[in-house]
Amino acid sequence: MSTATQHTSREQFSSNLERRHRVGRIWFLLFQASMVVGIVALTVLLLNIANSSFGYVAFHYGNPPEEFVGEGVDIEAAPKEDLIAILQDNISPGLFARFESERSFSSRSQANVYDLVLDYVLVPEIDAQWSLLQSLNQRDEIQAQVGAEFPDSIVEFQSWVDYDFIRSPQSSFVEIAGVRTAIFGSLWTIGIAILFAFPIGVGAAIYLEEYAGDSLINRVIRTNINNLAGVPSIIYGILGLAIFVRALEPFTSGSVFGIGDPTTSNGRTILSAGLTLGLLVLPLIIINAQEAIRAVPSSLRQASYGIGATRWQTTWNHVLPVAMPGIMTGTILAISRAIGETAPLVVIGASTFIQVDPDGPFSKFTTLPIQIFQWTARPQNVFRNLAAAASLTLLGLLLSLNASAILMRNRFRRRL
Amino acid sequence: MTDLSQSQTAQGAAASEQPTAAGSLRRKRRIGEVIIQSFLFLCGFLSIFITMGIVYELGKESLLFFGSRQWENSNKPITQRIEVDTTQFAVSTSGFTLDIEDLIRVDEELMLITGLDETLVTVERGFDGSEAVAHNAGAVIEIATEATLREFFTTTQWNPQIGQFGIWALATSTLLTSAIAVVVALPLGLATAVYLSEYASQKARNTLKPILEILAGVPTVVYGYFALTFMTPLLRSIFGKDVVAIYNTASAGIVIGILILPLVSSMSEDALSAVPRSLREAAYGLGATRLETAVKVVVPAAFSGIVAAFIVAVSRAIGETMIVAIAAGAGPAFTFNPFQSAETMTGHIVRISGGDLSYDSLDYNSIFAIGLMLFFMTLALNIFSQRIVRRFREVYE
Amino acid sequence: MQRKLYALLALLIVMSMVLAACGGSTATDAPADTGTDSGDTSTDSGDTGDDAMDDPMAMYDPATVTGDVVTAGSSTVFPLSERMAELFRQAGYAGNITVDSIGSGAGYERFCVEGESDIANTSRPIRDTEVESCQSIGRNPIEFRVGTDALAVVVSSENDFVTDVSMEELALIFGEAETWSDVRSEWPDEPIQRFIPGTDSGTFDYFVEEVFDENEEPILAASNTQLSEDDNVLVQGILGSPYAIGFYGYAYYAENEGALNILSIEGVEPIRENVDNNSYPLARPLFIYSDATILVEKPQVASFIWFYLTNVNDEVVDVGYFPASDADLLAARNAFLAAVGR
Repeated sequence: MSTATQHTSREQFSSNLERRHRVGRIWFLLFQASMVVGIVALTVLLLNIANSSFGYVAFHYGNPPEEFVGEGVDIEAAPKEDLIAILQDNISPGLFARFESERSFSSRSQANVYDLVLDYVLVPEIDAQWSLLQSLNQRDEIQAQVGAEFPDSIVEFQSWVDYDFIRSPQSSFVEIAGVRTAIFGSLWTIGIAILFAFPIGVGAAIYLEEYAGDSLINRVIRTNINNLAGVPSIIYGILGLAIFVRALEPFTSGSVFGIGDPTTSNGRTILSAGLTLGLLVLPLIIINAQEAIRAVPSSLRQASYGIGATRWQTTWNHVLPVAMPGIMTGTILAISRAIGETAPLVVIGASTFIQVDPDGPFSKFTTLPIQIFQWTARPQNVFRNLAAAASLTLLGLLLSLNASAILMRNRFRRRL
Repeated sequence: MTDLSQSQTAQGAAASEQPTAAGSLRRKRRIGEVIIQSFLFLCGFLSIFITMGIVYELGKESLLFFGSRQWENSNKPITQRIEVDTTQFAVSTSGFTLDIEDLIRVDEELMLITGLDETLVTVERGFDGSEAVAHNAGAVIEIATEATLREFFTTTQWNPQIGQFGIWALATSTLLTSAIAVVVALPLGLATAVYLSEYASQKARNTLKPILEILAGVPTVVYGYFALTFMTPLLRSIFGKDVVAIYNTASAGIVIGILILPLVSSMSEDALSAVPRSLREAAYGLGATRLETAVKVVVPAAFSGIVAAFIVAVSRAIGETMIVAIAAGAGPAFTFNPFQSAETMTGHIVRISGGDLSYDSLDYNSIFAIGLMLFFMTLALNIFSQRIVRRFREVYE
Repeated sequence: MQRKLYALLALLIVMSMVLAACGGSTATDAPADTGTDSGDTSTDSGDTGDDAMDDPMAMYDPATVTGDVVTAGSSTVFPLSERMAELFRQAGYAGNITVDSIGSGAGYERFCVEGESDIANTSRPIRDTEVESCQSIGRNPIEFRVGTDALAVVVSSENDFVTDVSMEELALIFGEAETWSDVRSEWPDEPIQRFIPGTDSGTFDYFVEEVFDENEEPILAASNTQLSEDDNVLVQGILGSPYAIGFYGYAYYAENEGALNILSIEGVEPIRENVDNNSYPLARPLFIYSDATILVEKPQVASFIWFYLTNVNDEVVDVGYFPASDADLLAARNAFLAAVGR
């Protein structure tokens, strides 16, 4: 850019300047276009998911309401006592007792009892379902088709992801299936993974950037960390199986703490899964933190040393705060990576079907991606809607987990 | 800092508990600092342990794969009784095809095939120290499958069920999908990063960056079906149905590119915006346009960070599993045509580990050897890129 | 700045506490759950058909047994075991039952090598080597037949020339034949496009066993063969061309009935009667495996298996499979009774 010498004439310079600005504008458009491509890709993906998460369903009741409340009576408006009686007469005493123990019927609302009656007594059965696009564009065709093929069915617009879906445990019945156990499992494993990987990752990055010289061992560590970032996740699963599930079994199964039933407990727990995911995202956190620390201008450090601060004081008070945005990016990417993992957790021993919520790090568990995967593999198309709804739930969870990291990144960020 | 201020007040000679000025300036041994430094070193060293763990686990199991011999029923009974000294006998035409140098087993005896003429087999009896005995007609011939390192690296067919163990069938498709992903993600990601860092307003950046990062969190199963039901039909309508197979590496690669886009853009953007402002101001001061400042000053200054982003992204592309498993097909094939189906290494590992094969079959054990190979592939890539970074890294103040 | 770092640490701690709190609330539920056991001794649940249960079976009442049940194995059997596990809980079982979908091979590994699971769900019979490793850890696997998965051989509905094939023709179609006319001269002279499940799957294994007499070479060597791990993905492939053909689990055909044509094999249609009476040649058995010692030591496992065997036929069709024949189910129940010493 400094080619403009004394010999360049004024005209040459201004025509050159024009060209340079033109090139600048063209590239600006290209940069903008790249951004737009990314956003478009995301939009199409989200539309793809949303398309299956909402739409019309045609369903009929396995046991029509008339059998319980008589013709023409709206069962949804029936008094709570009647609904409880219907429930008691039609489900197994064991199940009734379990509902009672989960929350006593006297404290349940009428709507809540109705939900139970709906799920366990009336048992809606879905005959057909349509995607969001179909539902919006072909409303009349859908009505006509249902009228012809399923004359007894009711057509309703359904949002597959709703409060019930998030609140209910898994089920093999599409109508009452939910992701509650999976959400708990995902939260637990991600929480453990980040608690494990964040301090160690940032610590390793500080060591490599602030303390380590250019010795052989440090070079090996650097290359090694980059390499670990590329190891396929299932291999971390194999490693986690050997270390956490097998070698550290007394610790990860909780038996050293006297937790868990000794006849059935083993190392295939939330703790093992969380630590394995921690190992998986560790390189990602280290590399991001390293780059962030490296980008801190050395004048800051020298100023700090100059007034007599120790190396650690300099790092903690001056380097880390400036490096924070980059470290947070690493954490965001790490959470995104960990929350979507399936393969290593299958090796570690995540259950595909489990209805009991995890009650600590030593429980058996499942996670959202495992549910999404098993639902997409089902023959019946209606499970695809559940998979889409679970994907939306996962994205919601991811965004809320990332929110604090994003806020923090934006706060710490400033130009030097 | 505290030392200094204390020694200053010491000169004022006010309080009684002050140390002498000379003592306070001497280098103190700080236990806290030593502990912290050792802890930090351990954090860094942990990665070595992880690597050793991976190599040990994979290596141990890979030995099972390379070392062992597995017998499979060839469905080819002998048609006549074989005496202790017979070296040539007839077999039925059904079942597996036999080849010269194949190792076979009849009852407990091992034989090496030395000649073959239609259904007439010439063998070396009592091979490998086994005892030559007589066998009745109808005895079953079992055929040995054995994976050798040589076969692993020099052949190009991968079908463990019929004794073919050429890793290149899987490795080339891993390279192919990763290359396509990189071609998509690197330019797009870098351009996005430059836009966010050098052009976008603070507010736009704070919203756009997290939005792009959502891409990294979409479950990969969703990406897989996106590739199969959106990208593949798109490619087929552009290039023609005869050219593009329904499962192909191109659509898987492109979609992996979208997946790793935020890795490239977010990490590069961090590196770009960490470049000191003074550099930009100096460039503007010399009359550089925004583009010139960005491309000729800021990007080179952030080179190390950008390369780090590339490495992480490429590594993720190589290791990506579900997308290729769904969209690239499950048939190992040695091809460089991106429109053909070909199974990748990761796709094979995840398929076999979740399948119905017995855990003591060669096929099952092969996943560890493939994993080890994958590990060394990324290692080579990293050592190579580390060299590049070292060479081009620019340090500013 | 330091304050902000503390804020970050505090945030992480709060996050962990929120997690702990989530877990905590459920932990209080658990003892309450088990407390319900004493409340009821009879399980006259409407939908589970306990009529088959004799009095001596009262000790296997789902509502009275405690402790966990761990099952793992085939992804094909998973939907069925999942359904039975859920109904088992609906019948009053208050413990934690888990079903892991990890493939038959890994299912046997967890049952026979690691000895971690109580039940292995599998879509292929156990191999000799697997029995050996089971015995070396003191387990003697007992097989319980629970259902049948018919293999559907399908073509796109645009294909109007194939409706019925013989087993020999199947071997040609998926093996040596290049074009359709190589199989039958009146069929078009167009290349066959084959869509088959991955070589690791029980479906592939079973097909090779039945059609190719256990010889994998021809089917793996055939050109124009597309393999996929996921049967839904295979469906997408076959829909694409009138000259495509493939095979996979019947349930995946049933869901796309309109767009696909199913072929009769040797003139036998894959309908329930033909699968029941064993005349349809491509019907693959589904199993669960357990061990007598486990059944005796863990009544909850015995209870679950008994519940499974008595109720599976009510659910198996809804899940997408065919019932096992009455004789097979009876044999399974007898095996159970023998194992628990009745």
